[in-house]
Amino acid sequence: MEEINETVKAYILKEFLPGENPDELTDSTPLITGGILDSIATLKLVAFIEERYGITLQAHEADVENLNTISYITKLIQSKLSSLGVGSGD
Amino acid sequence: MTMGGFDESSLEKNTTLLVGSRGAEASERVSLPGQQGKIRITEFLIVVAQLALLAFVIRQFQIESSAFLRIALLSFVGFMLHSFLPLRFRQPFFLLLCFASIGMVFGLPNGAWLVGIGLLLIAICHLPVPFSARVTLLLLTGTLLAVFRVDWLHAPWSRAIWPILGSMFMFRLIVYLYDLRHEKEPVSVWRTLAYFFLLPNVCFPLFPVVDYKTFRRTYYNDDPYRIYQVGVDWMLRGVIHLILYRFVYQYLTMAPFEVKAPGDLVRYLIANFLLYLRVSGQFHIIVGMLHLFGFHLPESHHRYYLASSFTDFWRRINIYWKDFMLKVFYFPIYFKLRTWGTFQALVTSTLIVFFITWFLHSLQFFWVRGSFLFAWQDVCFWAVLGLLVVINAVYEARHGRERTLRKSSWTPRGFAALCLKTAGTFSVICILWSLWTSESISAWISLWSSLGEKTAGTARLFPTLLVAAVVLGEGASRIRGSGISKIGQPRPEFSKSTAISIASLLILSLAGIQEAYTRFGPTAATLINSLRSGKLSRLDNATLERGYYENLLQVDRFNTQLWEVYTNKPLNWLDVQGTGLERFTNDFQQKELIPSFRSLTKYGTVSTNRWGMRDRDYERQPSPGTFRIALLGASSVMGWGVQDKETFEWILEDRLNHENQGKPYAKYEILNFAVPGYQPPQQLKALEKALSFGPDVVFYVATGREAQRSTDYLIEVTRKGIYIPYDYLREIVQKVGIEAKTAEPVGLRRLEPFRDEILVWLYRRIVQGCRERGTVPVWIFLPMTIEDPWQDDTATLFQIAREAGFVVLNLIDVYKNQDIKSLRVAGWDTHPNAKAHELIAGKLYEALWEREQDIIRPRPSTFSQQSGSQAAGRTGSQTTGGIVKDGRN
Repeated sequence: MEEINETVKAYILKEFLPGENPDELTDSTPLITGGILDSIATLKLVAFIEERYGITLQAHEADVENLNTISYITKLIQSKLSSLGVGSGD
Repeated sequence: MTMGGFDESSLEKNTTLLVGSRGAEASERVSLPGQQGKIRITEFLIVVAQLALLAFVIRQFQIESSAFLRIALLSFVGFMLHSFLPLRFRQPFFLLLCFASIGMVFGLPNGAWLVGIGLLLIAICHLPVPFSARVTLLLLTGTLLAVFRVDWLHAPWSRAIWPILGSMFMFRLIVYLYDLRHEKEPVSVWRTLAYFFLLPNVCFPLFPVVDYKTFRRTYYNDDPYRIYQVGVDWMLRGVIHLILYRFVYQYLTMAPFEVKAPGDLVRYLIANFLLYLRVSGQFHIIVGMLHLFGFHLPESHHRYYLASSFTDFWRRINIYWKDFMLKVFYFPIYFKLRTWGTFQALVTSTLIVFFITWFLHSLQFFWVRGSFLFAWQDVCFWAVLGLLVVINAVYEARHGRERTLRKSSWTPRGFAALCLKTAGTFSVICILWSLWTSESISAWISLWSSLGEKTAGTARLFPTLLVAAVVLGEGASRIRGSGISKIGQPRPEFSKSTAISIASLLILSLAGIQEAYTRFGPTAATLINSLRSGKLSRLDNATLERGYYENLLQVDRFNTQLWEVYTNKPLNWLDVQGTGLERFTNDFQQKELIPSFRSLTKYGTVSTNRWGMRDRDYERQPSPGTFRIALLGASSVMGWGVQDKETFEWILEDRLNHENQGKPYAKYEILNFAVPGYQPPQQLKALEKALSFGPDVVFYVATGREAQRSTDYLIEVTRKGIYIPYDYLREIVQKVGIEAKTAEPVGLRRLEPFRDEILVWLYRRIVQGCRERGTVPVWIFLPMTIEDPWQDDTATLFQIAREAGFVVLNLIDVYKNQDIKSLRVAGWDTHPNAKAHELIAGKLYEALWEREQDIIRPRPSTFSQQSGSQAAGRTGSQTTGGIVKDGRN
């Protein structure tokens, strides 16, 4: 769980917030409603998650309820991995 | 003390949990005590006090319609009761308010139909059949409703419910079905019904597409006081947008033909785009009102005039629509196409989204206005905007865009770049918007010829634009510099924004009181007064007037204010054309009234005599001792909208005969030669006919915009290929190069320098024709029953009439101290009604006797014992040749 969290955070910082202080990005920072993840960034993040964790996300899952915070994203990946019978690596 | 039976200690705890302006989403998955909906009594009273002020402002500024004031009051009072209720009763209570609002606006039978049809559509979504079968059934039902919408089948409900039914269901059904398919949450009947029958919807046909999942997710997901206060703030913002819109609509908008210089073009483009304030204003009010009932929905528009790129613009303007498109179309299409590669999938899905946006806007137009919209301007607008967004999106996908969690640092270079980008985006969108809203592509192209003109103001244009770009850049810089609200921190600006809202409401309330704003001086008072009502602009009044005669009821696609006037018009409303009163003449005159016509209309009898006058019967020659007046004018003079005996002409003639028989004439006759839609050039033909009846006096009635109407008519006949039988007019038209294929705005622009000159010629011709036959020409100014009856050109008009040699009678005060709306036939028909005709007759009678020496001067030879030869001198046998023939022929 922690690994997922860190990986996602690192990706977001590198890809969308270069130069930002990592401490400013918390698990609950609103990403979509806060304007960090727009449609293109959302699609990039989805592609990264699918490739990194070998899971498939559906179009209807690319929304605020699943991707608005790092915490939500982690939970989504976790649940997908669980359904595939893969551990989270914690 | 708290509302809703909760203690303060738990509330304090809740407050510490609550987050910044965007932080509410972070707390979605924790059970917030805010979801129990309690509020401190002091906070409740602060909200109620602001709502009271807001209601006052809505009333004083007549925001939107009178129906909206009723709905606003219903929702504000409903809010007070709603806040006391236990949470489980709140959605049912909200639904009750929704149904009450529908009943209030549409009445019981039509409201019941609207709710019934809605319930049927919702029920289909939940039928225990496969999803595809439900979609098919909904499409079939939609098709059946469309058949009713186009009146192929007679619907037992009023047409008025269509726009609202459409706005409630056409897009929300799509979102609802989409979420129903993917949603894991159990369906709540109250929530579903509340989602479709949303309270303010009944007053707004253009309602935002609310996302169902967001609607569910954000319900009381924050401290209720904060939700309510945001609602008040947004409603206030909406009201301010609507007042600003009125300023733009009344004072800044221009007709395409009025664009003659680069400065005009800039004003035209910007004013056109600023008219969108009405939509954003309405959306803020709608979403703000929903906040009062715990629906903590996101912002629908966010400073869209400050967008710094096309993708940024798309994200800021109508955010609900963008989210709808992303969720239901963009992501599903992209996910299906992504095997093609990111670039191809991105481009294709974006272009498809813009195509769907165009199509759905046309569909919306269908439900709202009853006809499917297809215009090249729309196609071009969405195609170009789609292309710009695609290019921008691809660029951002490759190079990224600036995002920050902190307050942005300011550098001169960064600021200059932002100024350029913001001003550039604003300019391009203004140009695109002008294309979208233009009447035709040729009219839009004609605008750009003004760029070649140089005027005194042209030199100042560039520095002005530069300053505007810096201002836009500064605004954009401020909204970007704020960074992201931090989770877990109370929003520091909350109390400040509340204070600002209260102060703004107090200022607006004061500004809405006549006794207060008249102290600011006449200019400011006139301005504020003009912003206090949603009256039509001068351009729309002109369009409305043209609409009577030229079947322009489709009006401009974006002319929402004029369209709203038309929507109130019943389907079977009787127009001039509907009576069959006119016949075509196939010449410059184009039409005339059919002789001996009689029709029983809803206004009573409309009949003509054997000569084709809407009047009693008269002999061709006046009998001895008769004082005869010939009356020229258009529909207001003809008496459209009142029965035969209610026209001011009829009333005046009766009064003249009852009160003045034998003083000095034995008999008075007024012959009504007015024909609906007649413009000043057509009156030359009417004059020819009138003089053949030997009048002592000709009354020429002008209702304003005479010069404009004259040039309008010359353009009309030229475009129709009708021969202009007057050398002078024909030469002017040829000189400025107007032909049948010339676009209307181009023709109007070319004739504009000759407008007054043409009118001077027309008036002189009428006067000359009258004087040659010993007839007194009298020019009467009769104001229309509108708020500002063409005051802009009235002074010039009087001067031209006087200098031409008319005896001038001014009836401008005829409606003074009257409620002007009570003097019209209907809101969509500004012809004077029976009461107005009485007023006109009274005023004209007074004016006539005031100028007795000039008009009814005793002429011994014409009363008591008028000789046959003298009478014949005023007959057609001697007057018909020549009067309408051009002197140079």
